[in-house]
Amino acid sequence: MTGPILSALFDVLQFQNIFAVMFGVIFGLFIGSTPGLTISLGMVLLLPLTFKLPAVTAVCLLLGLYAAGMTGGSISAILLNIPGTPSASATAIDGYALTQKGQAGPALGIAVISSFFGGIFGLTCLTLASPVIAKFALRFGAPELFALVLLGLTLICSFGQVSIVKALISGILGLIVMTAGLDPMMGTPRFTFGMVDLQAGISFLPAMIGLFAIPQIILGISNKIKVIPKYGSRIDRVLPRMKDLVKLIKTMLIGAGIGTGIGSIPGAGGPIAVFLSYDYARKTSKNSREFGKGTLEGVAAPEAANNAVAGGALIPMLTLGIPGDPITAILLGALIIQGLIPGPMLFIQNSQFVYSVFWAFLLANLMNLCLTLATIRLWVGVLKVPQRVLLPIILTLCVVGTFALRNTFFDTGVMLCFGLLAYFMKKYGFPVVPMLLAIILGPQLEEHLRMSLIISQGDPMIFFTHPISLVFIIIAVGSFVSPLIRRRAKTTVDDDECRTDSVR
Amino acid sequence: MNDRPPKFGDGSMRAVNIIIAITMILFGCFYSYLTMHLPDRNLPNTLGSSFVPWVLVICLYVLSILLLLQSVFKGSSETCDYAISKKEGISILFLVVIVIVYIKAMAFLGFLLVTPIFLAVLMLTIGAGKWKEVVLTSTLVTFGIYLFFQKVFQIILPAGEIF
Repeated sequence: MTGPILSALFDVLQFQNIFAVMFGVIFGLFIGSTPGLTISLGMVLLLPLTFKLPAVTAVCLLLGLYAAGMTGGSISAILLNIPGTPSASATAIDGYALTQKGQAGPALGIAVISSFFGGIFGLTCLTLASPVIAKFALRFGAPELFALVLLGLTLICSFGQVSIVKALISGILGLIVMTAGLDPMMGTPRFTFGMVDLQAGISFLPAMIGLFAIPQIILGISNKIKVIPKYGSRIDRVLPRMKDLVKLIKTMLIGAGIGTGIGSIPGAGGPIAVFLSYDYARKTSKNSREFGKGTLEGVAAPEAANNAVAGGALIPMLTLGIPGDPITAILLGALIIQGLIPGPMLFIQNSQFVYSVFWAFLLANLMNLCLTLATIRLWVGVLKVPQRVLLPIILTLCVVGTFALRNTFFDTGVMLCFGLLAYFMKKYGFPVVPMLLAIILGPQLEEHLRMSLIISQGDPMIFFTHPISLVFIIIAVGSFVSPLIRRRAKTTVDDDECRTDSVR
Repeated sequence: MNDRPPKFGDGSMRAVNIIIAITMILFGCFYSYLTMHLPDRNLPNTLGSSFVPWVLVICLYVLSILLLLQSVFKGSSETCDYAISKKEGISILFLVVIVIVYIKAMAFLGFLLVTPIFLAVLMLTIGAGKWKEVVLTSTLVTFGIYLFFQKVFQIILPAGEIF
C-alpha cells in the first residue's frame, strides 16, 4: 500500500514536475488575476503543451493552474471590485470594501491563506473519499456505466439557467458532432463526407479551445471588453497577524466544508459554493452586521470555499469519470489525451498515478501559497496588461495549440468553426458548457449503450434489471426533471406575485 | 399567452428563437437524410451504426419543436442584443480571414516568419499605436512560443515549404 504512495511522492518531487507546478501556478495567477480570462481558457491554452509530457507532469501543470487560478481571481476582486473568475464574485463584496478602507494588504493575505486552507481541506476529502467510491464503482459493468454517463449528461439541465430547452439543444448538438468518424463498434464511416481527417472523428481539444477562446477574442476585437480601471495605491502588510488567523479558523472551516460538498456535486459549481459559504458564514458570525462593509470573515469564507471546490470536483471526475464543471471536463480531456481513462479502473490499473494526482494537488496548493504571498505586489501590475497585447497572443496560442494535436490544420479549422458557433450560441442564449460535456461524454455514452445491448441481445430491460443502473437512471430522471419543477414553481410564484401586485 | 406577433427590434428573443428552431429542424432533416444513407453492417442482436444518430435526431426534432412552440405561444423573457452590428460583423469576418491567411501563409513560409507579422497585424487592428510595442511584443512572443513549444516541450510547430 505504502509502496505506490511513496513512489508517487518521489515521482511528483522530480525537478520537471516541481517546475511544471510552478509554471502552472504562475500562469494560473496570471489568468485568474486578469479580468476576462477564465481558468477554463487557461487550461485549454496549456493543454497543447501537455501532449509530449509524461502524464504526471501534465497533471502537475494543470493542477497548479487550477489551484492558483482560483486564488488569482480574488486579486482583481479585492483591488478593483472586478472578480477575475466567477468564483471570486463573493470575495469582491467584503474584499473591495476592505480596499476602500485602506486594508487591501490584509484582505489579499487572508484570501491567499484561506485559499490554501480550502485547498488542503478539499484535498483531504478527495484522498479519503476517492478510494472508497472507486472501490464501489468497480462493480460497474456496461449498463451501469451507460446509466452513469447518462446521469452525467443530465447535468446539462443545470446549465440552462435561462432556457432548459436551449441547454438541451446545445447538448444534443454536441452529441451529434461526436457521431462523426468511424463507428466505435462496427468501424463503418459515419458523416465523414469522404474526408480522411474526419475518419478519426472530431477531436475534443480543438472544440474546447474554440468554445472557450474564440468568443472572447471576437468580443475583444469588437471592443466589447470593458476597460479595466487601474489600482494605484500601495499594498502594505500582506501577512496577517496570528490572532486574526485564529479568529478566522471557524469561518474557513465553514467555507471549506461547503466548498468541498458543493464541488463534489457535479453541475453545482464554484459560484454557488462561494455565495452559500458567504451567506452561512454571515449567519453564524458574531459580526454578521459587518458583512458587506468590509470584514476579513467575508473574504475568508468564499476564498476557502472556492479552492475547496477544486478538491471536491476532482472526486467524481477521478472515481467515476464524470466531470462536474468545465474545468474538470478539460482535465478529464487532458487525461484521455494521455491515454488514461478516469474511473474506478484507474485506481486499480494506475494507482500510483492516482496518488501522484493527490501529491501534485498538495504541491500545487503549497506552491500557490508561497508564490502568491511572495509575489502579490507583482500581480497588481498584471492588471495593467492591455487587451491589445493579450488577445493576439491568445489567438496565436489557439492556432498553434490545435495544430500541435495531430500536426494538421484541419483541427485549426475545427477550432475556428466551434469558436464561431460558440460566439453565436452565447449571443442567442445557448450555453456552451452542455456542448462541451456532450462532446466529452458522447463517445462513452454510445459505446456503453451498444455494449450493454450486445450483452442483453438487444433487450433494453438490462438497464432496469441491474440495481445500480436502475438507481442511476432514477437519479438521472430526477436531476433532469427537478430543474423543470423548480422553474415551474418559480413561474407560478412570480405569476401569483404579479396578480397580487395588479390587484393592489 | 403573448399575442404580440414575432418581430425583430423589440429587445426580446422571440423572433430569433423561432428562426433558430426552424433552422434546427432543417438541420435535423439534413442529418436524417445522412443517417438514412449510412451503411449498415449489422451483426445479429446488435444495433447498427445509425441507431444513436436516429435517437439524437428525434431528440433534436422534439426540442426544436418545443422551442418553436414556446416562442410562438409563450414569447420569451430573454432579452439580448441579438442584432449583429457592423463592427461586430467586421470583427468576425476579420478573425476568419486573418486565421485562414495565417494558416495558408504558415504552410508556405513556416511559423517563425509568419507569426510576427500575424501578431503585429492583430495588435495594430485591435488598437496598439506604438510601433516599438508592436515590434517588440510580436518578436518576443514568437520567439517565446518557439522556445517553449519546439525546444522545451518538443512539440512540432508548423513548418513551411520555405522555412
